[in-house]
Amino acid sequence: MIWFQLQSLMGSYPLALRGLGMTIALSGISLVLGTILGFALGVLRTSGSRLLDSAIGLWVDLIRGTPFLVQIFLIFFILPELGVELDAFTAGIIALTNLAACFICEIVAAGIRSVPTGQVEAALASGLSQWQRMRQVVLPQAMRVSLPPLVGQYVLLIKDSSVVSAIGLTDLTRVGWLVVQRVPNGLLVFAIVGIGYFVVCYPLILLARRLERRMSAAHGEVQL
Amino acid sequence: MIEFRGVNKWFGALHVLKDITLSVEPREVVVVCGPSGSGKSTLIRCINGLETIKDGDLVVDGQRLGDRATNMTELRTEIGFVFQAFNLYPHKTALENVTLAPIHVRKIPRGEAEASGREMLAKVGLGDKFNAYPSELSGGQQQRVAIARCLCMRPKIMLFDEPTSALDPEMISEVLDVMVGVAEEGMTMMVVTHEMGFARKVAQRVVFMDAGAVVETGTPDEFFSDPKTDRSRAFLSKILRH
Repeated sequence: MIWFQLQSLMGSYPLALRGLGMTIALSGISLVLGTILGFALGVLRTSGSRLLDSAIGLWVDLIRGTPFLVQIFLIFFILPELGVELDAFTAGIIALTNLAACFICEIVAAGIRSVPTGQVEAALASGLSQWQRMRQVVLPQAMRVSLPPLVGQYVLLIKDSSVVSAIGLTDLTRVGWLVVQRVPNGLLVFAIVGIGYFVVCYPLILLARRLERRMSAAHGEVQL
Repeated sequence: MIEFRGVNKWFGALHVLKDITLSVEPREVVVVCGPSGSGKSTLIRCINGLETIKDGDLVVDGQRLGDRATNMTELRTEIGFVFQAFNLYPHKTALENVTLAPIHVRKIPRGEAEASGREMLAKVGLGDKFNAYPSELSGGQQQRVAIARCLCMRPKIMLFDEPTSALDPEMISEVLDVMVGVAEEGMTMMVVTHEMGFARKVAQRVVFMDAGAVVETGTPDEFFSDPKTDRSRAFLSKILRH
């Protein structure tokens, strides 16, 4: 019986690969976009403008305080009502990017705030511009604090991408749902789906641990 | 070179600078002393805009601070500032610390900046520490790197905010020796310090502050041997007792 089911599962491997590809594409793209946006928001949040800080803070709290599934539905079903036509993939990317950006913004802002004011003053006193202070002095030191939780956040993002199956994207999780209709062994199918996610996430988990260990050795900056 | 005219500053309700009028001529070395909380650090932090003034005029190198026409970032490149806590960049080596601003602000080619950076580090006695990170240096060595970092910008003015207060006693003289060297080369300097030996050796003037106001100014000889006010006498009797 189980042998027969396994054989039948082998037949679904092109679908499974497609699902894995979709999961990697979704999380990969939103990881890159979310990192860029999150860094920008984190830098803006600590730039000294109280208005910007509280506006970003409100948005971040809103996103952190609502379920991701609800956010996806809002983007996928409500935006078209307002005249913005979105395919499921774009909606998924927007939702995931936004989620990632909000968490990364907080991680980056916390890192920037952890840099002693004396560092900024020294950079200021030697005539560095605001961008140069950020780029040369503040961010390299902030990264020391931010990098391990950042990589940890990537792992969460990859796992959160499973929620987009709810709007019909054929990612790894949805492939599981499709296959289980043909092969009625939920345990087996979703064990394999789980392994699929783990294979993608585990290297990142190891990387995060490695970075954390390197922190203590580095002179305030992380070399990968 | 530096001119305070009726400068006032408040931190909330606290009046930290009271009607300061004071000027520093080119090539002059002025030592500022006074009890803690008297506003001396605030005074010199105003000169490069780390603090802003509430009213009065502060003119530095011919430019009035707070004017629209005054580019603070540009003005700061002409003013070296040495901090009590050194504030070296911990993720950069000694050489990278001293070349960062010359390369990025002065736009000096890297090779040239590194050559003069090495020369400057050698001058402050750290010719063998180019590639050391701040965490690998003693306090005295770090402060000498910090001074070299300022000198590499070829500033017109050097400000020192209690440069030896965070140092172990045996490291104080190595930093003061470097500062004496800088003074003897004709740098315009304002130094917040209680190192009276340094003041006697190179300062043209001592400014005594208390409770946010300049109480007394004079040559080091006048000030130390014949202080004019009760407050300066009380202060001197405390710091010179040991």
